[in-house]
Amino acid sequence: MLQPIKRYILLTLINSISYSPTLFSQDSLFVCVPGGTYQVGQKNHTQNPLRKISINSFYIAAHELTNSAFEKFVQATGYITEAERYKNALVFEPGLKEFRWLTDSTAYWRYPNGIMRGGIEKKMDHPVTCISFNDALAYCKWAGVRLPTLEEWEIAATAGTPSKYFRKVTKTNIRRYANIWHGYDHLQPDHTDGFLYTAPVASFKPNPLGLYDVLGNVFEFCSGSLPRDNGRKVAHARGGSWWCSANACSFFNTKDIGSVNPHASFSNQGFRVVKSIR
Amino acid sequence: MRYILLLTIAFLAVNTPAYSQMDAYREFRAQPSVPPYGLPKIKALISKIKPQSDEDNSDMGISPLSTKDYDALSLREKFTYAMIHPEMYAQNCAIFVPQAKEDQKIFGYLISWMNEETWSNRQLEFLEKNRDSVMAIIKESVTRSKRMGVNYKDALVEINAWEMIPFLISYYKKNKKDKDVLTTLMLLMKKGNYADFVKSQSYKNLYGVADNYESSMTFNKANEALTLQRAQAYFHSKKPDAPTN
Repeated sequence: MLQPIKRYILLTLINSISYSPTLFSQDSLFVCVPGGTYQVGQKNHTQNPLRKISINSFYIAAHELTNSAFEKFVQATGYITEAERYKNALVFEPGLKEFRWLTDSTAYWRYPNGIMRGGIEKKMDHPVTCISFNDALAYCKWAGVRLPTLEEWEIAATAGTPSKYFRKVTKTNIRRYANIWHGYDHLQPDHTDGFLYTAPVASFKPNPLGLYDVLGNVFEFCSGSLPRDNGRKVAHARGGSWWCSANACSFFNTKDIGSVNPHASFSNQGFRVVKSIR
Repeated sequence: MRYILLLTIAFLAVNTPAYSQMDAYREFRAQPSVPPYGLPKIKALISKIKPQSDEDNSDMGISPLSTKDYDALSLREKFTYAMIHPEMYAQNCAIFVPQAKEDQKIFGYLISWMNEETWSNRQLEFLEKNRDSVMAIIKESVTRSKRMGVNYKDALVEINAWEMIPFLISYYKKNKKDKDVLTTLMLLMKKGNYADFVKSQSYKNLYGVADNYESSMTFNKANEALTLQRAQAYFHSKKPDAPTN
């Protein structure tokens, strides 16, 4: 019998041939991750300790959900996001201190950094942002998909590599794999990788399973809770985002796990979907 | 029965101290101060804020006081409100992941204490605009309670309260467990771009190009003494006529 990693590489190849992009009501190819026992976490990581877990097989989208896919959902349902309802989205512009964002009542997924900073007309292949965890759940319900669990995301993102980065990635060559922030701080704009904010999905090199942007572009909502939540309802997102720099959070990796209010909408926050295999 | 009890105690003694000690210090670091100024009134107002999310009562989302209610607060009440009720969302990665042996480290930055929230622009503006009063209130509150929560330290860094350095040093000497006071002193020196600190190895270790918000240096007598001495010197460079402690 093949080991889980070998099996899912094989299944990925089969999957890339077998599955249509529209199979799960959205514009994404899916990669199959077979069930089995996997190692997740990291030695001495207080929030994500090294451990083995067993999971069932699942399909995971090869890239983050796009503006185009989210637009179809909105057109079909008339859904109004939380940022539109409560006018409390958080936007970014260069010049802000570290971890500081601006509330912008005009911002929502069509104008993820506020109307003054432009819309998504020419960015339909970028990841959808400025949506809350609850908005992501609403999309999933409509599309018949779900968010990955914290563990599923990690298993797919690491693609069998036990370290913080998947195979071939280092802190110095990560710019080839991830849209992140390369400046020392956020006072000056950073265009050095070609993008100030989001990039079109799959603009950077994929991980060995064929998943794009797991280390950058936008943070990806996952389902699940952590002991540090102390029973509070908290959303968690993984990976990195275009905002993330080595000198700030340095979260563009497969081990750290962030926390955000389930109602919060940020322009560096998106999601990727999964589909269970029955 | 007695042996079982003894064995249980022995097991707990061997297995729990390292973890719980770590947890306890982390908890101590993250504990905010609760100002007494108008506290019952502020708590009552917060409890009456209409949630901005009406779908899920288990988490109300962001919940700022209305402009009318906020403007009606006195200065001290606004201070209390800011210290117990940050009113803007914090982004996903604006957290500080707990680390092992935090009690043996001096960190470059203070930990996040507001869960998934942070101060809004109006709260930041309030602190900045009233910095003299904020410093006086914090001094008064800490002197009375003999404790300086992370929110007070955060506020002092936010308003660049270098005038508080002698008070911080004096507080630290009486509360040596609170190593985040050393962090606060370093952040004030960093904010003031104090040359002797900026060119130091400590600065390079904590705020250099290879470091991030979770960087730390070892806590030892030498690093402690150096930080205190530098902070004292920084204060005197800003206020040469101040008496030396």
